[in-house]
This record gives sequence, structure tokens and C-alpha cells, in this order.
Amino acid sequence: MASAAAVTLRRVVLVSAALRLALVVFGEWQDAHLEVRYTDVDYLVFSDAAASVAAGGSPFARATYRYSPILAFLLLPNSLLHAAWGKLLFSAADLLVGLFIDTILELRGIPEKMRMWSVVAWLFNPFTFTIGTRGNCEPIVCAVMLWILICLMKGRVLQAAFWYGLIVHFRIYPIIYAIPFVIVLGKGYAGPVGRPTLTMWRSKQQLQNDEVSQIEEPTSFVATVWGFLSNFISRNAILFGLLSGSVFFAWTGIFFYLYGWDFLNEALLYHLTRTDPRHNFSIYFYHIYLHHQQGFSSIQRLASFLPQLIVQLALILRFSRDLPFCMFLQTVAFVAFNKVMTAQYFVWFFCLLPLILPWSSMKLKWKGLACTVVWMGSQLHWLMWAYLLEFKGRNVFVQLWVAGLMFLAANTFIMLMVMKHHNYTQLFSLPVKSGNKVATKKEE
Amino acid sequence: MTAGGGRCLLAVALAAAWISGAAAAASSSAEQADGRQKSVKCMPCSRPYIGDAYLDNTLTGQLAQRRDLVEMSDSGELCKGLAEDVKVPVLSKLRRQLVGEGSHRRLVYSMDFGACDGAMVNFLDGYDAHLVIFEKLPDGVFADPFELQHFVERKVFVDVAVFGDTNLELPTALSNRSSVEIHFDLRLIISTDCNLEIDLPLHARYPPLDASGYATVEFGNPDLFLQYRKKEIHSDSCLWVIKNLKAAPLEKAAWRIPCGDEAHIGFVSSITFLSALVCSMSIVLAALIF
Repeated sequence: MASAAAVTLRRVVLVSAALRLALVVFGEWQDAHLEVRYTDVDYLVFSDAAASVAAGGSPFARATYRYSPILAFLLLPNSLLHAAWGKLLFSAADLLVGLFIDTILELRGIPEKMRMWSVVAWLFNPFTFTIGTRGNCEPIVCAVMLWILICLMKGRVLQAAFWYGLIVHFRIYPIIYAIPFVIVLGKGYAGPVGRPTLTMWRSKQQLQNDEVSQIEEPTSFVATVWGFLSNFISRNAILFGLLSGSVFFAWTGIFFYLYGWDFLNEALLYHLTRTDPRHNFSIYFYHIYLHHQQGFSSIQRLASFLPQLIVQLALILRFSRDLPFCMFLQTVAFVAFNKVMTAQYFVWFFCLLPLILPWSSMKLKWKGLACTVVWMGSQLHWLMWAYLLEFKGRNVFVQLWVAGLMFLAANTFIMLMVMKHHNYTQLFSLPVKSGNKVATKKEE
Repeated sequence: MTAGGGRCLLAVALAAAWISGAAAAASSSAEQADGRQKSVKCMPCSRPYIGDAYLDNTLTGQLAQRRDLVEMSDSGELCKGLAEDVKVPVLSKLRRQLVGEGSHRRLVYSMDFGACDGAMVNFLDGYDAHLVIFEKLPDGVFADPFELQHFVERKVFVDVAVFGDTNLELPTALSNRSSVEIHFDLRLIISTDCNLEIDLPLHARYPPLDASGYATVEFGNPDLFLQYRKKEIHSDSCLWVIKNLKAAPLEKAAWRIPCGDEAHIGFVSSITFLSALVCSMSIVLAALIF
């Protein structure tokens, strides 16, 4: 049975790898022969930055390079070996995400067939395989995030902290997971043997047969706040915080030493203060454009930050102990309420979606399909207006802004549907609640 | 806007001023030379771009400008004898069109260098010759230097430089003007019967707000030069000869770019914030209920 599963997973990964390789080759052909390039414009920026590093210069000599220099270093073979190196690297990270999804679900006791469907939901998602093969670096961030989850599930707190510090330096947005990580690393994290105990998945039938619900209900806000505060000071949480913070500052310090303010301004401060007046999925783009000549008042800044903050805090306080679910919701909300939103950001939550599917009671027929249609439809609607503005030169700013509002409504609808149909299950079982309520799995 | 932005503006203004000056000097030289075009300047090979002549040391102000003026002065000692008795290609026809729709368009230059006779072939055999197009871009339009660099890599152009504000993301109100200089290998025109078509990809910035809903930007006349040097040269005395290819004024190219309307500020901002609040509250409530 296990061997059959391995063969199936191997086949799925092999087919995905072949698909990605074919797309990379096709991309090279399209770039050489057609006017519209397959390659993402950001990939050209990364490659130029890597070429600048290869020539002994700074990656920030390339205008609009706004990433950690680590990315330029990773893409040095673009100049030395082949220009498609980075695409292969990102696609490899993409495949790794598929394998990590399988590992995480296996650790949580998901049956092989269900795991396979979850892996397929990532590997054959057209958004994800085109993102990597077009040369977008997000699959690397996804792979590291899932690896951090695996480390936490296996009790490797120090390794998780190292990777977390590194990935926040690399892409900043994973900082939103800091509080949930600290919450799960609180006093209940380590079991009697000093290692975490995972709550195993239970099928719908098993749940119905049990007299007492096996699912941990989400605790109330007050209880969670109290629990958080009282659990905050645990050895694991402090170690995680100190080490991840040190790693973040170490990488930032090294690159500040090497590249000075160029690095700090472009790779870090730019992302914290970014307001883009050009059209993007964010509801704020037209508001920003309309105010770009006069600037923004403090109240306006606060008004655009507050919804983001409130939603993040509510989700953290309510769902943080169901860590993958909390991370998924946090990411969708973060992207939806962000002042800048592009399609590449969707990959951030697509990699977490397969981790929550087994706990959802939503069927593809018809609610799942309805969610997909609403999300895709509102996005296509936005894209139609964006096309008319950008490629036809028609003044459709208002229509495009309304389409952005509709897309936010669609994202909110999806989040509500996902919350409604999710079976809340804490990632780690609290030691006092062991016994027949939860199955446990020790680290190998 | 910023010190950097101001410097860029100054650089573009100086480059444009020099080119205008070159045209004026050329004009007077041409008159003195009995109808023959003698609008010739020389430039050390160490200077890769015509626009670059004025971009060095712009912060040091007038002194730097004066030094360059001496170095670049036409018919000076440096130039003596270099441009004599050389029959160079003459531009007989020039057209320029703005092609495409939306925010990404192309300026297409169509040029005719007359008959591709033996003299032309001899000239191109004996000289490295570049056609140089210097386009002063109007406010609100920019050329992406990295995109153009890929044209150089694909050997479409010999070299390209963008002067001035190359921040590609800023709207017009927060950015400065820029100019682009393209070097095209003239040998390639032999295979096209001395006709030439060059595409320059350009992009629109977001214009300042206007109630009409559209901003119009217009392109002025480009400056065209012939830059050549003997193929066998000694590096210590290498000079480019630069000849202004005077072309008749072109029909103005205009680009209509959609822009935001100040009248939208009130309802757009309030509905945006209200929507964000309603959606965020729905999520908070759902988190409490489900």
C-alpha cells in the first residue's frame, strides 16, 4: 500500500516536472519568436541584478530590483550557465512544495488518496505552474514556509526559527505568521517527552460515530487572549523569537554592510511604505492615484491600515492553534486588504490551500465550484477593464476600481465560505487533552 | 522633486541644449561651405554617447560645461582633416509614426538614404558608421533602458542610452523628462536597399489628474546624426566624426493617455474605505460565529 502510494506520488511529481520543463522550453521559444514574452518581466530584473553581481557590482544597480541580494546570488548561474537557470530553480521549488504538502498531510494522518488530491491541487494549479516557469521567485518562499511548518510539527524549533528569520528577510510578508507561531510554541507545544503531539485527522464517518466530538472547538476571544498572554513566555517561544530575530537582523546587517542604503531602501523600506498608483487588484489603487499629487493625511493612512490590522488580529486570536488554517486565512486576508495586489501574491495562499482541504466539508459540487467561479469570474472581470485601460487606452478608471471592490467582495465571500465549512482542529494536541480524544504521532 | 531628480532634469536640459547648439553650428557651417553640409563635430571614442558629452560632472556646473564645449568644438584641432573628402550617406527621407494602442507603443522611424551606390558601399567598407537617433521624450512618456538593452543583446541596436529620469514606476507629476539615444549600425542598410525602419518601444506614465479624462503628450523633432570613424584606428587618437543629418521637421506625434478625474476623489475614497470596513467586519463576525 505504502509502496503503491510512493509510486503514485512519484508519477504525479514526474508528470509535473515534465510539464514544467516543457513550459520552460516553450517559454524560451516564445520569447525568441513572438512579440509577447512568456517570461515575467520581474525575471529579467532578477537576471539583470544577478549579472550585475557576477560583474562584481551591486544587484541594486538594476533599477526596480527590490528583493534580497540572496535572490541575485541564487541566480548567478543565469549569467554563468544559462538564462533559464532561475526558472528551473523556481520550478524545482514548486515541485518541492508538492512534496512538502504530502509530508505535512501524512504527518497529520491523512489517507494516501486524499493526500494525492491535495498535492494535485497544488502541482496542477495553472496559477502555480505558470508562475514558476515564467520566472517568479514565489515558489521558493512557499517551499520555505512549508518546511518551517514541517520543522514545527517535528519539534525542530531552532531550525524553524532559522528558516523563518531568513524568509522574513527574503520576502517580509511572512512576518504576519509571527504571532501564530509564538502562540503554538507556547506552554502547550511540547508534550511529556518534550516533543509536540500532533492532532490526527479523523474522517467524517469517524466523527459521526464518536459520541463526543473529536474536534477541538475554537476557544473564545477572551480565553485565547488570556491563553496567549499566559503562555507567551515559554522556552520554545523565546528561543524561536530570539533566533529568528537574530537571523533576520544578521542577513539584513550583512547586506547593509555590503550594499548600504540602496539595499535597505529598495529591499526593505520600499515594501513597508509601498503605495502604487498604477492599476493593480487592490481596492486602494484609484484612491492612491487620485491623491498622488497632494499626498495622504494621517487619517487616510490609518483608514487603509486599520481593516488589515483588525482582520489579522481577529483571525490570529480565533484560529492560531489550527495553524495551517490560520495561516491560509491570514494570507488571503493580507493579500485582499493590501494596498498593492498582483497575481503573483495568490501563490502565497495557494500553497496553503491543500493543507486545509481535508478538514473542509465543502463539496466541489456545488459550493466548491461556486467559490471557484466567483473568485475566477471577479478576477476575469477586473482583467477585462485592466486590458481596456492598459492596452486600448480607454479611460475606465472608475469601472476598474469597481471591479477591484467586487474582487474584494469575492475574496471575503470565499473566506466566509471556507470558515463556515472548516472543521477546526488544533495542529498540536495539548498534553492534558490526550487519551482517546486524539491520536498521537511522535517524531520519527 | 529630489536632488537626484533635479540632476536628471539638468542633464537632459544640457544634452538637449548641446544638440540644439550642434544644429545651430551645423547650420552656420553649412552656409559657409558653399551649400555642402559641413555640420561636423568630433568626439573622443572614449565617450560612448553624444548625449553623454554633457552628462559628466554636471554637478560642477559651468566649468564642466565649458570644458566640454572646448573639447567638442566643431572644426577644432581634434577634427582637422578627419571629415575632409569623405562622401557620407545622405538622409533623403525621414518619417516617424507613433504605432500601437494603450500604454505601450512604438515610435517607428522610416528612413531612406537614397541610392545604394558604390560610394556608399565603399564608405561603409572603410568606416565604422552609426546612425544616431536622439529623441527628447515629452513629459509622461519613458523608454525602459533595460528593455532597450535587450535590443542591444539581440544586435538590433549597437548601443542605447537613456538620459534623465529612468524611474519607470512614477507617475508624470512625480517624475522628470528623459531622452533616449539609439545607435544603429549603418552597414545593415545595404541589405535593405538603403531603406531603414527602426522601432523604439515607449511606455506611458500615469498623467496628472484632469477633468477631460485624457492627457495628450506631443513629441518634438528628433535629432539624427551620422557618427563614423575609420576602421583602422589607433586607440590613442581615436575620434568619432559626428555629422548632423538635417531632416525636415516632422509631423508632430501625439499620444492620448487616460487620466483620473479630481471630481472622483470624494466618492472613490469614501466608498473604498467603507468597503474595506464592511468586508473586514464581515470576516471578524464570521470568525466569531463559525
